[in-house]
Amino acid sequence: MAVFQPFDKLPVLNSATLLLVGSDRGLQQELAKAMLQEKKSFKISIHLATSLPLPSEGDHLRPRIDLIVFMIDVKTKYSLKNVEASLAHVAASFFLGKVCFLVTGVGRVNYCSVEMSSIWKLGEVYCSPVLYCELELERTRVATAQRLLRMLQICAGHVPGVSALTFNFMLRNSY
Amino acid sequence: MLQSSKSPKEPLQQHQKRQSNLSAWLKVGSIDPEKSVQDHQSLNDQENDSKQEESLEPALSYFATVQDGVSLKKSSALQRHLATVESIALQRGLPPEAFNVLLSTALSGKLADTVSIRLLKSLIPESVVPETSVVSAVSWLCVSKCPSNIQVLFLRWLITVFDFIDHKEDLHALYGFFFFFLQEEKMCPFICHVLYLLTRKENVKPFRVKRLLDLQAKMGMRSHLQALLSLYKLFCPELVSITLPAKTEIYFKDAEGPWKAAIKTIRQRRLENSPVPQPLILGTAQPRPQKRKWNAQLMIPASSTNRSDLEEVREKNTGLYSTDEYFPVELLQTFPQLLQNIHRLEFPSRMGSVLTNPLLLHYMNCTKDESVYLRLHYWLGQTLQEECTWCVVENSQNEEEFRDFLEILCRAQCFLHEGLTPCEEFLYRNLPLWDGLCCRSQILRLVSWIPLNSMYDMKSSLYDPLAQLFSTSSLYFKCSTLESLKRLLQNWLNWQMVHVDSAADSQTLNTTFSGLVNMVAELIHFVGMISTVALRLESNHTFLMYFILDFYETVCDIYLKYNMPLLIMPPAGVFYPVLLAMDPVNLNQLCYIMYRYRANLVAAKENEHSEKEVQQFRFSSETYKEYNQYITAMVGCLWTSNAFQKDTHPQGLRMDDELLNETGVKELKTSFNIVYHPAMIGYAVQFLQQAWPDDTTFNFSLIKGKKWNWYLKYLYAKGLEGLKVFIESSISRVSQASYNKAENMET
Repeated sequence: MAVFQPFDKLPVLNSATLLLVGSDRGLQQELAKAMLQEKKSFKISIHLATSLPLPSEGDHLRPRIDLIVFMIDVKTKYSLKNVEASLAHVAASFFLGKVCFLVTGVGRVNYCSVEMSSIWKLGEVYCSPVLYCELELERTRVATAQRLLRMLQICAGHVPGVSALTFNFMLRNSY
Repeated sequence: MLQSSKSPKEPLQQHQKRQSNLSAWLKVGSIDPEKSVQDHQSLNDQENDSKQEESLEPALSYFATVQDGVSLKKSSALQRHLATVESIALQRGLPPEAFNVLLSTALSGKLADTVSIRLLKSLIPESVVPETSVVSAVSWLCVSKCPSNIQVLFLRWLITVFDFIDHKEDLHALYGFFFFFLQEEKMCPFICHVLYLLTRKENVKPFRVKRLLDLQAKMGMRSHLQALLSLYKLFCPELVSITLPAKTEIYFKDAEGPWKAAIKTIRQRRLENSPVPQPLILGTAQPRPQKRKWNAQLMIPASSTNRSDLEEVREKNTGLYSTDEYFPVELLQTFPQLLQNIHRLEFPSRMGSVLTNPLLLHYMNCTKDESVYLRLHYWLGQTLQEECTWCVVENSQNEEEFRDFLEILCRAQCFLHEGLTPCEEFLYRNLPLWDGLCCRSQILRLVSWIPLNSMYDMKSSLYDPLAQLFSTSSLYFKCSTLESLKRLLQNWLNWQMVHVDSAADSQTLNTTFSGLVNMVAELIHFVGMISTVALRLESNHTFLMYFILDFYETVCDIYLKYNMPLLIMPPAGVFYPVLLAMDPVNLNQLCYIMYRYRANLVAAKENEHSEKEVQQFRFSSETYKEYNQYITAMVGCLWTSNAFQKDTHPQGLRMDDELLNETGVKELKTSFNIVYHPAMIGYAVQFLQQAWPDDTTFNFSLIKGKKWNWYLKYLYAKGLEGLKVFIESSISRVSQASYNKAENMET
């Protein structure tokens, strides 16, 4: 079983890589598009995957992943199952600030089929922040893209004095 | 828009005139050339609507005269008319006059149940629902001609359109009838909801309380019964002796059924069709067709259609029971009126209207009537949750309205000088889901009104979600958040001043007061922490520093200004970046803040010596120590140039001599002070240019002795008041000339 490592490759100068993992391809692409349209001071590449592990044949071409965002749709139980299964393929050191859970579909709480507490628990167990958003709304999508970009910038080490780990701590606990 | 609002009324008049003449409907509907031309001209885009509107009339007259037991399958006329009613209802809502006929048809059990249900489901009001139609519908309910599921559907409809009913006096008179229906098990929850909306103080009678308690004993604790009982208890605490649980989140399950969405879309469509936003209607004008939306809610509803009616009602009332007479709130115009009638005011059925009425807010502020708050809170909590634009995708179109509504709430809270519990709960529930964008300034202002005596855990409900948003959002968001947290701190401090004073003699003060102090301290620590992170993330942005210092300007004066024994120094992560900032504005502000800290600490020290009786609060020696460390660093940076040697703070500027020597700066002892500081060097250059116009070498060492004093005066003249008070208070100079011999005040 291929385990995904955060530090097994060298970083590329002035660029950052994000990996979006989620069962809904359409939403992923929308979000990725929104992120690419944002103005930014560094190069980014966004990789999309429905689940982990990633195929091993393209591994040597893949750059170092700075942040993994697991997308969970509250409307489908499958999306949560999928993420839980994928988490097993991520090395423990990734959870030192380079993983984030993005919960989508909060605008339709009435159709919610995933228990919020189980998502919250997931965040606790994997020591990773949980962000909530509604990607159907364009404004929120743009806002989410901006937030993820800020996180990515920090996780890629572009902000002097702030490491992914300290930032992760900040996101999960105010103090 | 005038035209379109008129057009539904026209058929009303025709309806009344020609009710008996069936063929007239058809005539009017199809071949009235004048009318259709007019419609064509004035309402191009509503052409379709007006055609359909004309064909509603035959449908209505059909239902008015339909025989019992006509089968839907067999009668094509019924099919057609039913379809017409449904499509018009969905298209643009039904005019007021349609309700009487349709309600009677649906509840009389004349037609098959499926038809009745379909009719009930299409009862979507275009403007208002006439009270008479509801009253006659209730009378049909009483003869029990229809099965229970239709009765329940009718009640759900009634709850949904409650605020659309034009006046409710007669409906109130039917209170007893509604109450009777409590015994029907299926209808009970909905009846409770209706009663909850209708109940006034005079409705609370011992026999009703007994009946409710019996029901509760029989059926067990049900949330709807509980709701009604708690309302009764509020009105007449002496009658309801049982204890009820303090708070239930949801009293009534969503009774809204299929109408809510339809009403919304109709409303939306109307707004789109009208180029100008329709003004809010004030006074006793006819309410506009808006469902349980705030715009409609925020008007004081007319309990009678016009004033002459009101006068009549009042005269009648005086005759019957003059002591119970109420002053109608819609007549309340001036403050003296409020004072005269303050003992006989009754709040309107739409509690939301209180929010926009300053007089009623005054009244609310001084009345001890809990039921007023309960009613407002119930309505507010529900409305906020339903209309929240980022939690309900369907609402995303209405963001502007939601913003206006929040704006009204902010203003009302500001007026009341306190936060409303539902706003607080709304924030806690929805902040984690917020994108930080939608209605930002309003939401942040709501945050600043969170009450100090909140029962919630601030860390998990406010600080954690806020910190997450804060650290992932833009610089502008960070600054706005800091601003609102400053307001929050000020509101808390003001609140405790008022409330601690009024409860000064209470025994429990000690424990609660220290609890309050801890809460304030927690807020200040939280802001210190996010400020440190923000300065790092935004690489010490000047704008951000300004807002952080603005917060600490309140913090440094808590002891003297707000009389709270609390003094918290800014963390090193804030202090040092500002001390070494590149701009004089923030440095000047820091000087002022440190001067105020000094004043507070000195005052605390003096009080400690003088009044020893009630000194349970003391500043810890840690605070004094930290202050002195900061002062050492500041004096070193601004005056004695020895910050790098003398600073003792663990996160401070201290450097080893070897390292300092490696920098290669020649005159270490004199080259980091008020002249050389990066924020000040601009002034120093200007000063040099004015004092020695011929010298172009920029020899800063010329500024010494007498020139040093001139330089200081020059700085003060430039408006650096903070620097002035700081230097005058914290740096005592042995002699005017020997500037390098300064010592910091030990407090």
